[in-house]
Amino acid sequence: MSAMSALASPSAEPLLEIRNLTIRYREDDRQVTAARDISFALRRGGSLAIVGESGSGKSSVAGAILDFLGPTAEVTGSMLFEGQDIAGLAPAQRRQMLGWRIGAVFQDPFTALNPALRVGRQIAEPMVQHLGLPLPEALARAELALREMGIDRAAEVARAFPHQLSGGMKQRALIAAALACEPPLLILDEPTTALDVTVEAQILRLLSRLRREKGVSLLFISHNLSVVRRLCDDVAVMYASQLVELGEVHRVLERPAHPYSKGLLASRPPLAAASRGSRLAAIAGQMPTTAEPDAGCVFAPRCPFHEPRCSTGPQLLTITPDGHRVRCWKADALGPWPRQQVAAAAAPVFHRGDALVNVTQVSKTFDRSGGLTAWRLSVAGGRPLLYRSPKRVPAVNDVSFSISPGEVLGLVGESGCGKSTLGRLLLQLLRQSGGSVEFDGADLARLPAQALSPFRKQAQIVFQNVGSSLNPRLSVGEALDRPLALFRLAKPGDRTKRVEALLDMVRLPAAYRKRFPHQLSGGERQRVAIARALATEPRFIVCDEPVSALDVSVQATIVNLLADLRDAFGLSYLFISHDLAVVAQLSDRIAVMYRGRICEIGTAAEVLAPPHHPYTQMLLASAADDEPAPEPAAGMIAAATPGGCVFAARCPYTLGAVCDTTSPPLRPLTASHAIACHLDILPNAAVPPVFVHPDPQRAAI
Amino acid sequence: MHVRDRFQPPNLHYLAGTDEYGRDVFSRLLIGSQLSLALGATATLISMAVGVPLGLIAGYRRGVTDEAIMRVLDVMLAFPPIMLVLLILAVTPPSLLKTAIAIGVLAVAPIARVTRSVTLDLMSGEFMEAARARGERLHYMLLRELLPNVWPVLMVEASLRVVFAVLLGAVLSFLGFGVQPPAADWGLMISNGRAFVDTAPWISLAPGIAMSITVIAISLVGDGLREVLDPKVGR
Repeated sequence: MSAMSALASPSAEPLLEIRNLTIRYREDDRQVTAARDISFALRRGGSLAIVGESGSGKSSVAGAILDFLGPTAEVTGSMLFEGQDIAGLAPAQRRQMLGWRIGAVFQDPFTALNPALRVGRQIAEPMVQHLGLPLPEALARAELALREMGIDRAAEVARAFPHQLSGGMKQRALIAAALACEPPLLILDEPTTALDVTVEAQILRLLSRLRREKGVSLLFISHNLSVVRRLCDDVAVMYASQLVELGEVHRVLERPAHPYSKGLLASRPPLAAASRGSRLAAIAGQMPTTAEPDAGCVFAPRCPFHEPRCSTGPQLLTITPDGHRVRCWKADALGPWPRQQVAAAAAPVFHRGDALVNVTQVSKTFDRSGGLTAWRLSVAGGRPLLYRSPKRVPAVNDVSFSISPGEVLGLVGESGCGKSTLGRLLLQLLRQSGGSVEFDGADLARLPAQALSPFRKQAQIVFQNVGSSLNPRLSVGEALDRPLALFRLAKPGDRTKRVEALLDMVRLPAAYRKRFPHQLSGGERQRVAIARALATEPRFIVCDEPVSALDVSVQATIVNLLADLRDAFGLSYLFISHDLAVVAQLSDRIAVMYRGRICEIGTAAEVLAPPHHPYTQMLLASAADDEPAPEPAAGMIAAATPGGCVFAARCPYTLGAVCDTTSPPLRPLTASHAIACHLDILPNAAVPPVFVHPDPQRAAI
Repeated sequence: MHVRDRFQPPNLHYLAGTDEYGRDVFSRLLIGSQLSLALGATATLISMAVGVPLGLIAGYRRGVTDEAIMRVLDVMLAFPPIMLVLLILAVTPPSLLKTAIAIGVLAVAPIARVTRSVTLDLMSGEFMEAARARGERLHYMLLRELLPNVWPVLMVEASLRVVFAVLLGAVLSFLGFGVQPPAADWGLMISNGRAFVDTAPWISLAPGIAMSITVIAISLVGDGLREVLDPKVGR
């Protein structure tokens, strides 16, 4: 110990130093290693990201530092925080550190706040706990803290209950609570994963400002490499419980040395329109859950650069001359990750006339509640009055488009914009309130529910939530067999063969027939869900965020699979996603949706290139890595004026009265490109560069 | 029955002693178990047969159907249970089947409620929507998609209901409304032994202990069934 401190000068002493951290979980007689021999250091004021896919052990490392792992976890190694080994402290002392010396923010802002307490109180709590402040003073400081988070009406927000705030606002409040006692270290576990891209961009800007102004060090856990680029100095890549690469962020992201880092970076789709023949680079196979590094490199089974020598023994973390650490013996000799390309299919030409799906002025309004509970008793007028709560929520408003046979229409928008509702309207899982949906020339609204059967066979759906898209009590075989039996697509004797053929189509082994959903990984479940949709031999599939819940490398394989199936069977998709890059990868045309309306529609290339609708521009700026994105109305979105443009409240270019009173029509710019905006958007003149300050009056809290 | 061996404490010959008529308490326990368990099982089967379909339909259909079913069941819940059974049994001559029906009807509302709440939870699952996208009919949705997922929770609930039914049956016998003497029923035995608690406590104690063991055993069976039915365990 003395030798160590003699070597390191006090100023160079890192704030947090993890040495040989190993975390094992014991379950009955089974033992799972979540982290193996992890070492890294975080300097004062620095920021380090731990990146890895789900199951890589990154959250366990954060949990070990925070002492959140519970009694089944066995933690060895040392964790030096401010020169003190916190692994050896008593539980009470560790608890004392939390919120005071170490702040923590977690992934899901929607459940992290206590719904029964006012927001200000929850930010004040750690100050009362750790600093011994009287409550009124702590509350006053909480309000200041909220203001520091870039919230204009801090007093109002402090008095609000969590359900009154948007997701981004809640996450700001949680960051304020984590920083209330001004801890030197802030641990963030996927803090932006549950948020929309525009809100994510705001939170990231906030965090980098706090880092600059307060000098707080960040330990940032994420699966998203582009988020890391915007915030962190150093990045550690974890794979199968091991640290495989550690180095300066730009070095790792621009010139990754470890094959896994290369694959991870290559599998992220670029923000550009893709040709029909292009496929994403993918990492074959899946991460081992109980890898034993003694047998060789943990990544060897999936590595395209693999050779026999890789399997002879465990790989060591070697340090390159520029201070970069890589766990691969031949990292210097590696080329770029191999990209796959299929024979470029000729870009199909679509004629608007022969549309497969034709949506005309469709609208959907939800009654907020039905039944007896919708009735309210009012005594406000002096005598009791029984009335029905009239709240009606418009989800889709006057939307028209068409999809040709074999065409993929991408639908992009933030959560709550009505894109999933629109997908369900197309499949008549919901009935529209107005307008018409035609499939193959037949108006679906005129058909009674019983007569929809032929349509149901031809139009299917794939869902986002891989956890609930398969019935947990049905085996894969039973789930795939059902559509065959229902539509009498195969003779009973041939059905098993057909099920195996379906599994083969989504590249799963035939033996998976006997498995149950819980025995499959997320990507495999999504494959089964796709096979189930394919079983009815459909012509049209609604893909409702099919890859959003998946890791980047798995996402790439599923996107590639969908592209292959599209080309093999001439399928049409409505591909719904919040991720423009994923949509661009697969779509022939893209529609951008905001608050129930389509604000821009065109071919993928047209939508991604200027001129843009202001909202598309905001989405693109938020998704792009380094560009400074506009800072619109921070926080909750103001209710749009009835009759006005839905985007006016967040729009940086509002023209004044016209935007608030008149809803802009979808104006065609070219034969295929249309934008709904009052701005005079000429085909050759791009919208002026992004502004900095929005009108604060327009931003409701 | 050995009239001379009245009030024998438990010994090797009479494992649980004898009662005021010299009857072997242990033999009566064994015979009585048939009655008690038959009562519990029948009552629970009746309440499941009615409650589960009601709960499934209410949870699946929502809206007016849901309101109609649940409000009617709420009314049933509003009656004090013993009063309801007593009312039925007091106005008609007692019989085992009628007791079972009366107890079974009581449990319809709780079972339907449990079924409905699990169904509501399942309805948000995307596999339900996938089934609707195939145009599945009502009976397939209820029986193949929903029921297997509701089943494990129902197993636990059902075992609890058997326990309640056995206890309630005993209470009724104890009060003199259920099984009539000289039939060997645990509740009746406890009731009979009441007079001799000071001198011969085993007469009441033995059926009491038997009942406790039964109750625990049924609960354990319920838990076990739930685990066996769970595809995540084993297989």
